[in-house]
Amino acid sequence: MDLKQALILILAGAAGTCGFSLLFRLRKKLIPCAVLGAVLTLVVYVICLRFLHHAFFQNLFPALFGALYAEIAAKVTKSPATQYLACAIIPLVPGGGLYYTMYHFVTGDMASFHTQLTQTARTAAGLAVGIILISVLVHQWRYRSLKTIFEEE
Amino acid sequence: MAQPAYPAEDVLSLAMDLGKSMIRCGAEINRVEETVVRICRAYGMQQTEVFSIVSLIVATTRDPDGREATRSRRIYSYATNFMQLEKLNALSRRLCALPVDPASVREELDTINRDPVKLHPTACIGYILGASAFTVFFGGSWKDALAAAPIAVILWLIGSLVKVHGMSKLFVTALSSATAGFLALGFVRLGLADNAGMIMIGDIMLIIPGLMLIHSVREMLCGDLMSGLLRLLESLILALAIACGFAVPILILG
Repeated sequence: MDLKQALILILAGAAGTCGFSLLFRLRKKLIPCAVLGAVLTLVVYVICLRFLHHAFFQNLFPALFGALYAEIAAKVTKSPATQYLACAIIPLVPGGGLYYTMYHFVTGDMASFHTQLTQTARTAAGLAVGIILISVLVHQWRYRSLKTIFEEE
Repeated sequence: MAQPAYPAEDVLSLAMDLGKSMIRCGAEINRVEETVVRICRAYGMQQTEVFSIVSLIVATTRDPDGREATRSRRIYSYATNFMQLEKLNALSRRLCALPVDPASVREELDTINRDPVKLHPTACIGYILGASAFTVFFGGSWKDALAAAPIAVILWLIGSLVKVHGMSKLFVTALSSATAGFLALGFVRLGLADNAGMIMIGDIMLIIPGLMLIHSVREMLCGDLMSGLLRLLESLILALAIACGFAVPILILG
Protein backbone atom coordinates (compact mmCIF):
# COMPACT_ATOMS: atom_id res chain seq x y z
CA MET A 1 0.00 0.00 0.00
CA ASP A 2 1.44 3.36 -1.00
CA LEU A 3 0.99 6.68 0.74
CA LYS A 4 -1.85 7.83 -1.50
CA GLN A 5 -3.87 4.69 -0.85
CA ALA A 6 -3.24 5.02 2.86
CA LEU A 7 -4.44 8.62 2.82
CA ILE A 8 -7.62 7.71 0.95
CA LEU A 9 -8.23 4.90 3.43
CA ILE A 10 -7.83 7.21 6.42
CA LEU A 11 -9.90 10.06 4.95
CA ALA A 12 -12.71 7.76 3.80
CA GLY A 13 -12.64 6.03 7.18
CA ALA A 14 -12.92 9.39 8.94
CA ALA A 15 -15.88 10.46 6.79
CA GLY A 16 -17.53 7.07 7.36
CA THR A 17 -17.06 7.36 11.10
CA CYS A 18 -18.60 10.82 10.97
CA GLY A 19 -21.61 9.30 9.23
CA PHE A 20 -21.88 6.49 11.75
CA SER A 21 -21.63 8.88 14.68
CA LEU A 22 -24.76 10.61 13.31
CA LEU A 23 -26.40 7.23 12.83
CA PHE A 24 -25.61 6.27 16.43
CA ARG A 25 -27.03 9.62 17.56
CA LEU A 26 -23.82 10.70 19.24
CA ARG A 27 -24.06 14.14 20.84
CA LYS A 28 -22.87 16.69 18.24
CA LYS A 29 -20.28 18.20 20.58
CA LEU A 30 -18.55 14.84 20.92
CA ILE A 31 -18.33 14.06 17.18
CA PRO A 32 -14.94 15.78 16.51
CA CYS A 33 -13.35 13.90 19.38
CA ALA A 34 -14.83 10.59 18.18
CA VAL A 35 -13.70 11.14 14.58
CA LEU A 36 -10.20 12.06 15.75
CA GLY A 37 -10.11 8.72 17.57
CA ALA A 38 -11.05 6.90 14.37
CA VAL A 39 -8.37 8.76 12.36
CA LEU A 40 -5.62 7.95 14.85
CA THR A 41 -6.76 4.34 15.10
CA LEU A 42 -6.66 4.10 11.29
CA VAL A 43 -3.13 5.51 11.26
CA VAL A 44 -2.09 2.76 13.68
CA TYR A 45 -3.94 0.26 11.48
CA VAL A 46 -2.16 1.39 8.31
CA ILE A 47 1.22 1.09 10.05
CA CYS A 48 0.27 -2.40 11.29
CA LEU A 49 -0.81 -3.41 7.76
CA ARG A 50 2.64 -2.45 6.52
CA PHE A 51 4.65 -4.42 9.07
CA LEU A 52 2.43 -7.26 10.29
CA HIS A 53 1.01 -10.08 8.22
CA HIS A 54 -1.59 -11.74 10.41
CA ALA A 55 -5.11 -10.31 10.57
CA PHE A 56 -5.25 -10.91 14.33
CA PHE A 57 -2.24 -8.69 15.04
CA GLN A 58 -3.17 -6.19 12.32
CA ASN A 59 -6.32 -5.49 14.32
CA LEU A 60 -5.09 -6.13 17.86
CA PHE A 61 -2.84 -3.07 18.04
CA PRO A 62 -5.31 -0.58 16.53
CA ALA A 63 -7.93 -1.92 18.96
CA LEU A 64 -5.54 -1.46 21.90
CA PHE A 65 -4.91 2.08 20.76
CA GLY A 66 -8.58 2.85 20.05
CA ALA A 67 -9.71 1.54 23.44
CA LEU A 68 -7.03 3.50 25.24
CA TYR A 69 -8.00 6.62 23.32
CA ALA A 70 -11.65 6.04 24.21
CA GLU A 71 -10.85 5.79 27.92
CA ILE A 72 -8.78 8.98 27.86
CA ALA A 73 -11.34 10.87 25.76
CA ALA A 74 -14.07 9.73 28.16
CA LYS A 75 -12.11 11.08 31.11
CA VAL A 76 -11.45 14.41 29.38
CA THR A 77 -14.98 15.00 28.09
CA LYS A 78 -16.69 13.28 31.08
CA SER A 79 -18.88 11.00 28.96
CA PRO A 80 -19.04 7.19 28.57
CA ALA A 81 -16.08 5.52 26.83
CA THR A 82 -18.36 3.15 24.87
CA GLN A 83 -19.32 5.80 22.35
CA TYR A 84 -15.72 6.74 21.54
CA LEU A 85 -14.76 3.10 21.34
CA ALA A 86 -17.55 2.23 18.91
CA CYS A 87 -16.61 5.16 16.67
CA ALA A 88 -12.86 4.46 16.82
CA ILE A 89 -13.19 0.85 15.66
CA ILE A 90 -16.10 1.20 13.23
CA PRO A 91 -13.82 1.43 10.14
CA LEU A 92 -12.03 -1.76 11.24
CA VAL A 93 -15.15 -3.74 12.09
CA PRO A 94 -15.28 -6.71 9.69
CA GLY A 95 -18.63 -5.77 8.15
CA GLY A 96 -17.29 -6.48 4.69
CA GLY A 97 -15.74 -9.76 5.79
CA LEU A 98 -18.92 -10.90 7.48
CA TYR A 99 -20.94 -10.08 4.39
CA TYR A 100 -18.52 -11.76 1.94
CA THR A 101 -18.39 -14.84 4.17
CA MET A 102 -22.14 -15.25 4.01
CA TYR A 103 -22.28 -14.26 0.35
CA HIS A 104 -19.81 -17.01 -0.64
CA PHE A 105 -21.78 -19.42 1.52
CA VAL A 106 -25.01 -18.55 -0.29
CA THR A 107 -23.42 -18.81 -3.74
CA GLY A 108 -21.70 -22.07 -2.78
CA ASP A 109 -18.11 -20.91 -3.32
CA MET A 110 -16.75 -22.90 -0.39
CA ALA A 111 -13.05 -22.10 -0.90
CA SER A 112 -13.68 -18.34 -0.74
CA PHE A 113 -16.14 -18.90 2.10
CA HIS A 114 -13.45 -20.58 4.13
CA THR A 115 -10.84 -17.87 3.45
CA GLN A 116 -13.26 -15.08 4.35
CA LEU A 117 -14.51 -16.89 7.45
CA THR A 118 -10.97 -17.33 8.79
CA GLN A 119 -10.09 -13.73 8.03
CA THR A 120 -13.28 -12.38 9.64
CA ALA A 121 -12.84 -14.53 12.74
CA ARG A 122 -9.24 -13.37 13.15
CA THR A 123 -10.20 -9.72 12.71
CA ALA A 124 -13.06 -9.99 15.21
CA ALA A 125 -10.86 -11.81 17.72
CA GLY A 126 -8.06 -9.24 17.34
CA LEU A 127 -10.40 -6.32 17.92
CA ALA A 128 -12.20 -7.96 20.84
CA VAL A 129 -9.01 -9.03 22.60
CA GLY A 130 -7.53 -5.55 22.21
CA ILE A 131 -10.61 -3.92 23.69
CA ILE A 132 -10.76 -6.37 26.58
CA LEU A 133 -7.09 -5.99 27.50
CA ILE A 134 -7.55 -2.25 27.93
CA SER A 135 -10.84 -2.54 29.80
CA VAL A 136 -9.34 -5.08 32.23
CA LEU A 137 -6.38 -2.79 32.89
CA VAL A 138 -8.61 0.25 33.38
CA HIS A 139 -10.93 -1.69 35.71
CA GLN A 140 -8.04 -2.91 37.83
CA TRP A 141 -6.57 0.53 38.13
CA ARG A 142 -9.87 2.29 38.80
CA TYR A 143 -11.13 -0.13 41.42
CA ARG A 144 -7.88 -0.18 43.28
CA SER A 145 -7.63 3.58 43.44
CA LEU A 146 -11.23 4.33 44.34
CA LYS A 147 -11.97 1.51 46.81
CA THR A 148 -15.44 1.10 45.39
CA ILE A 149 -18.40 -0.78 46.73
CA PHE A 150 -17.26 -3.99 45.06
CA GLU A 151 -14.60 -4.48 47.69
CA GLU A 152 -17.09 -4.44 50.53
CA GLU A 153 -18.36 -7.87 49.59
CA MET B 1 -26.62 -0.56 57.20
CA ALA B 2 -29.45 1.97 57.41
CA GLN B 3 -33.02 0.76 56.98
CA PRO B 4 -34.05 1.30 53.34
CA ALA B 5 -36.62 4.04 52.88
CA TYR B 6 -38.36 2.41 49.91
CA PRO B 7 -39.78 -1.10 49.40
CA ALA B 8 -37.55 -3.59 47.57
CA GLU B 9 -40.19 -4.08 44.84
CA ASP B 10 -40.21 -0.41 43.84
CA VAL B 11 -36.43 -0.12 43.90
CA LEU B 12 -35.94 -3.23 41.82
CA SER B 13 -38.61 -2.19 39.31
CA LEU B 14 -36.89 1.13 38.77
CA ALA B 15 -33.42 -0.41 38.51
CA MET B 16 -34.64 -2.93 35.95
CA ASP B 17 -36.54 -0.42 33.86
CA LEU B 18 -33.33 1.54 33.68
CA GLY B 19 -31.42 -1.61 32.75
CA LYS B 20 -33.94 -2.45 30.06
CA SER B 21 -33.66 1.03 28.58
CA MET B 22 -29.88 0.67 28.56
CA ILE B 23 -30.01 -2.59 26.61
CA ARG B 24 -32.47 -1.01 24.21
CA CYS B 25 -29.94 1.66 23.28
CA GLY B 26 -27.08 -0.77 22.89
CA ALA B 27 -25.31 -1.08 26.25
CA GLU B 28 -23.10 -4.07 27.05
CA ILE B 29 -24.55 -6.75 29.29
CA ASN B 30 -22.02 -6.47 32.12
CA ARG B 31 -22.67 -2.75 32.23
CA VAL B 32 -26.40 -3.35 32.61
CA GLU B 33 -25.97 -5.97 35.32
CA GLU B 34 -23.59 -3.68 37.18
CA THR B 35 -26.06 -0.78 36.99
CA VAL B 36 -28.93 -2.83 38.45
CA VAL B 37 -26.74 -4.05 41.33
CA ARG B 38 -25.38 -0.59 42.06
CA ILE B 39 -28.78 1.07 42.15
CA CYS B 40 -30.25 -1.59 44.44
CA ARG B 41 -27.25 -1.25 46.72
CA ALA B 42 -27.52 2.54 46.78
CA TYR B 43 -31.13 2.15 47.97
CA GLY B 44 -29.96 0.01 50.89
CA MET B 45 -30.70 -3.47 49.54
CA GLN B 46 -28.48 -6.11 51.04
CA GLN B 47 -27.97 -8.52 48.21
CA THR B 48 -28.85 -8.39 44.54
CA GLU B 49 -28.50 -11.12 41.93
CA VAL B 50 -28.88 -10.26 38.27
CA PHE B 51 -28.79 -12.35 35.16
CA SER B 52 -29.16 -10.70 31.81
CA ILE B 53 -28.99 -11.59 28.16
CA VAL B 54 -29.80 -9.28 25.25
CA SER B 55 -33.49 -10.14 25.34
CA LEU B 56 -34.13 -10.68 29.08
CA ILE B 57 -33.15 -9.40 32.51
CA VAL B 58 -33.98 -11.33 35.68
CA ALA B 59 -33.06 -10.02 39.11
CA THR B 60 -33.74 -10.71 42.77
CA THR B 61 -32.94 -8.32 45.55
CA ARG B 62 -33.12 -8.74 49.34
CA ASP B 63 -33.70 -5.95 51.85
CA PRO B 64 -32.05 -5.98 55.31
CA ASP B 65 -35.17 -7.65 56.82
CA GLY B 66 -34.68 -10.61 54.49
CA ARG B 67 -37.70 -9.89 52.28
CA GLU B 68 -37.01 -10.65 48.66
CA ALA B 69 -38.34 -9.18 45.43
CA THR B 70 -37.91 -10.69 41.98
CA ARG B 71 -38.60 -8.99 38.68
CA SER B 72 -37.99 -9.74 35.04
CA ARG B 73 -37.93 -7.61 31.90
CA ARG B 74 -38.15 -8.69 28.28
CA ILE B 75 -36.32 -6.72 25.58
CA TYR B 76 -37.63 -7.06 22.04
CA SER B 77 -35.45 -4.77 20.01
CA TYR B 78 -32.37 -2.66 20.34
CA ALA B 79 -30.48 -0.06 18.34
CA THR B 80 -27.42 2.00 19.19
CA ASN B 81 -28.44 5.39 20.55
CA PHE B 82 -25.62 7.10 22.40
CA MET B 83 -27.58 10.22 23.26
CA GLN B 84 -30.09 8.16 25.24
CA LEU B 85 -27.40 5.94 26.71
CA GLU B 86 -25.53 8.94 28.03
CA LYS B 87 -28.67 10.29 29.72
CA LEU B 88 -29.41 6.90 31.25
CA ASN B 89 -25.84 6.64 32.54
CA ALA B 90 -26.09 10.08 34.10
CA LEU B 91 -29.42 9.18 35.70
CA SER B 92 -28.08 5.95 37.18
CA ARG B 93 -25.01 7.71 38.53
CA ARG B 94 -27.22 10.36 40.11
CA LEU B 95 -29.45 7.74 41.72
CA CYS B 96 -26.43 5.96 43.18
CA ALA B 97 -25.18 9.21 44.69
CA LEU B 98 -28.59 10.32 45.95
CA PRO B 99 -31.32 7.64 46.10
CA VAL B 100 -34.52 9.66 45.69
CA ASP B 101 -38.10 8.33 45.68
CA PRO B 102 -38.35 5.76 42.81
CA ALA B 103 -41.78 7.08 41.85
CA SER B 104 -40.38 10.55 41.21
CA VAL B 105 -37.77 9.23 38.77
CA ARG B 106 -40.33 7.34 36.64
CA GLU B 107 -41.32 10.41 34.70
CA GLU B 108 -37.73 11.32 33.88
CA LEU B 109 -37.06 7.78 32.69
CA ASP B 110 -40.15 7.92 30.47
CA THR B 111 -38.98 11.23 29.00
CA ILE B 112 -35.58 9.76 28.16
CA ASN B 113 -37.16 6.68 26.59
CA ARG B 114 -39.64 8.61 24.52
CA ASP B 115 -38.35 9.55 21.10
CA PRO B 116 -41.15 11.41 19.30
CA VAL B 117 -39.29 11.90 16.02
CA LYS B 118 -39.69 8.95 13.69
CA LEU B 119 -37.54 10.06 10.79
CA HIS B 120 -34.36 11.70 12.04
CA PRO B 121 -32.93 13.89 9.25
CA THR B 122 -29.46 13.85 10.84
CA ALA B 123 -29.52 10.05 10.76
CA CYS B 124 -30.26 10.29 7.03
CA ILE B 125 -27.14 12.41 6.53
CA GLY B 126 -25.29 9.82 8.57
CA TYR B 127 -26.53 7.03 6.29
CA ILE B 128 -25.44 8.91 3.16
CA LEU B 129 -22.04 9.88 4.54
CA GLY B 130 -21.40 6.40 5.95
CA ALA B 131 -22.38 4.56 2.76
CA SER B 132 -20.46 6.83 0.37
CA ALA B 133 -17.36 6.95 2.56
CA PHE B 134 -17.23 3.18 3.02
CA THR B 135 -17.71 2.65 -0.71
CA VAL B 136 -14.45 4.58 -1.22
CA PHE B 137 -12.89 2.91 1.84
CA PHE B 138 -13.33 -0.53 0.28
CA GLY B 139 -11.93 0.61 -3.08
CA GLY B 140 -14.89 2.02 -5.02
CA SER B 141 -14.61 5.00 -7.38
CA TRP B 142 -16.17 8.42 -6.73
CA LYS B 143 -18.98 7.48 -9.15
CA ASP B 144 -19.74 4.44 -6.98
CA ALA B 145 -19.75 6.66 -3.90
CA LEU B 146 -22.30 8.96 -5.54
CA ALA B 147 -24.48 6.00 -6.49
CA ALA B 148 -24.33 4.68 -2.92
CA ALA B 149 -25.93 7.88 -1.60
CA PRO B 150 -29.50 7.51 -2.94
CA ILE B 151 -29.49 3.85 -1.94
CA ALA B 152 -28.50 4.91 1.57
CA VAL B 153 -31.53 7.21 1.71
CA ILE B 154 -33.77 4.29 0.81
CA LEU B 155 -32.12 2.12 3.47
CA TRP B 156 -32.72 4.92 5.95
CA LEU B 157 -36.41 5.01 5.03
CA ILE B 158 -36.73 1.22 5.33
CA GLY B 159 -34.81 1.27 8.62
CA SER B 160 -37.11 3.90 10.03
CA LEU B 161 -40.19 1.98 8.92
CA VAL B 162 -39.13 -1.01 11.03
CA LYS B 163 -39.52 1.06 14.16
CA VAL B 164 -42.82 2.43 12.93
CA HIS B 165 -44.51 -0.85 12.07
CA GLY B 166 -42.47 -3.32 14.09
CA MET B 167 -41.88 -5.68 11.17
CA SER B 168 -39.55 -8.64 11.64
CA LYS B 169 -35.95 -7.48 11.71
CA LEU B 170 -34.73 -10.38 9.63
CA PHE B 171 -37.27 -9.80 6.89
CA VAL B 172 -36.58 -6.08 6.77
CA THR B 173 -32.82 -6.70 6.59
CA ALA B 174 -33.22 -9.07 3.64
CA LEU B 175 -35.61 -6.64 1.96
CA SER B 176 -33.14 -3.75 2.46
CA SER B 177 -30.33 -5.77 0.96
CA ALA B 178 -32.42 -6.91 -2.02
CA THR B 179 -33.58 -3.35 -2.73
CA ALA B 180 -30.04 -2.03 -2.48
CA GLY B 181 -28.87 -4.82 -4.80
CA PHE B 182 -31.45 -4.01 -7.48
CA LEU B 183 -30.60 -0.31 -7.36
CA ALA B 184 -26.83 -0.87 -7.38
CA LEU B 185 -27.04 -3.21 -10.39
CA GLY B 186 -29.43 -0.74 -12.04
CA PHE B 187 -27.01 2.14 -11.62
CA VAL B 188 -24.21 0.11 -13.15
CA ARG B 189 -26.44 -0.96 -16.10
CA LEU B 190 -27.30 2.69 -16.74
CA GLY B 191 -23.60 3.54 -16.75
CA LEU B 192 -23.88 5.80 -13.71
CA ALA B 193 -21.48 3.71 -11.64
CA ASP B 194 -18.57 1.32 -12.20
CA ASN B 195 -18.83 -1.55 -9.75
CA ALA B 196 -22.04 -2.81 -8.16
CA GLY B 197 -20.07 -4.86 -5.61
CA MET B 198 -18.38 -1.73 -4.25
CA ILE B 199 -21.66 0.17 -3.98
CA MET B 200 -23.19 -2.80 -2.21
CA ILE B 201 -20.43 -3.13 0.35
CA GLY B 202 -20.64 0.59 1.19
CA ASP B 203 -24.38 0.41 1.72
CA ILE B 204 -24.20 -2.94 3.46
CA MET B 205 -21.90 -1.47 6.11
CA LEU B 206 -24.99 0.42 7.31
CA ILE B 207 -27.02 -2.69 7.98
CA ILE B 208 -24.44 -5.42 8.61
CA PRO B 209 -24.06 -6.25 12.32
CA GLY B 210 -20.26 -5.83 12.33
CA LEU B 211 -20.13 -4.03 15.64
CA MET B 212 -22.51 -6.62 17.09
CA LEU B 213 -20.03 -9.34 16.07
CA ILE B 214 -17.22 -7.58 17.95
CA HIS B 215 -19.47 -7.09 20.97
CA SER B 216 -20.42 -10.76 20.94
CA VAL B 217 -16.80 -11.96 20.93
CA ARG B 218 -16.03 -9.43 23.62
CA GLU B 219 -18.89 -10.61 25.84
CA MET B 220 -17.93 -14.24 25.41
CA LEU B 221 -14.33 -13.51 26.37
CA CYS B 222 -15.60 -11.57 29.40
CA GLY B 223 -17.60 -14.57 30.60
CA ASP B 224 -21.07 -13.49 29.48
CA LEU B 225 -21.34 -16.62 27.39
CA MET B 226 -25.10 -16.72 26.89
CA SER B 227 -25.38 -13.12 25.82
CA GLY B 228 -22.31 -13.38 23.60
CA LEU B 229 -23.58 -16.54 21.91
CA LEU B 230 -26.98 -15.01 21.25
CA ARG B 231 -25.40 -11.91 19.77
CA LEU B 232 -23.05 -14.01 17.64
CA LEU B 233 -25.93 -16.08 16.35
CA GLU B 234 -27.99 -13.00 15.63
CA SER B 235 -25.19 -11.27 13.74
CA LEU B 236 -24.53 -14.41 11.65
CA ILE B 237 -28.20 -14.84 10.81
CA LEU B 238 -28.57 -11.17 9.91
CA ALA B 239 -25.49 -11.38 7.69
CA LEU B 240 -26.97 -14.46 6.04
CA ALA B 241 -30.22 -12.57 5.44
CA ILE B 242 -28.25 -9.75 3.80
CA ALA B 243 -26.37 -12.18 1.57
CA CYS B 244 -29.60 -13.94 0.58
CA GLY B 245 -31.22 -10.58 -0.10
CA PHE B 246 -28.42 -9.58 -2.46
CA ALA B 247 -28.48 -12.96 -4.20
CA VAL B 248 -32.00 -12.24 -5.50
CA PRO B 249 -31.13 -9.26 -7.79
CA ILE B 250 -27.98 -11.07 -8.96
CA LEU B 251 -30.03 -14.11 -9.99
CA ILE B 252 -32.61 -11.97 -11.76
CA LEU B 253 -30.37 -9.36 -13.40
CA GLY B 254 -27.29 -11.56 -13.76
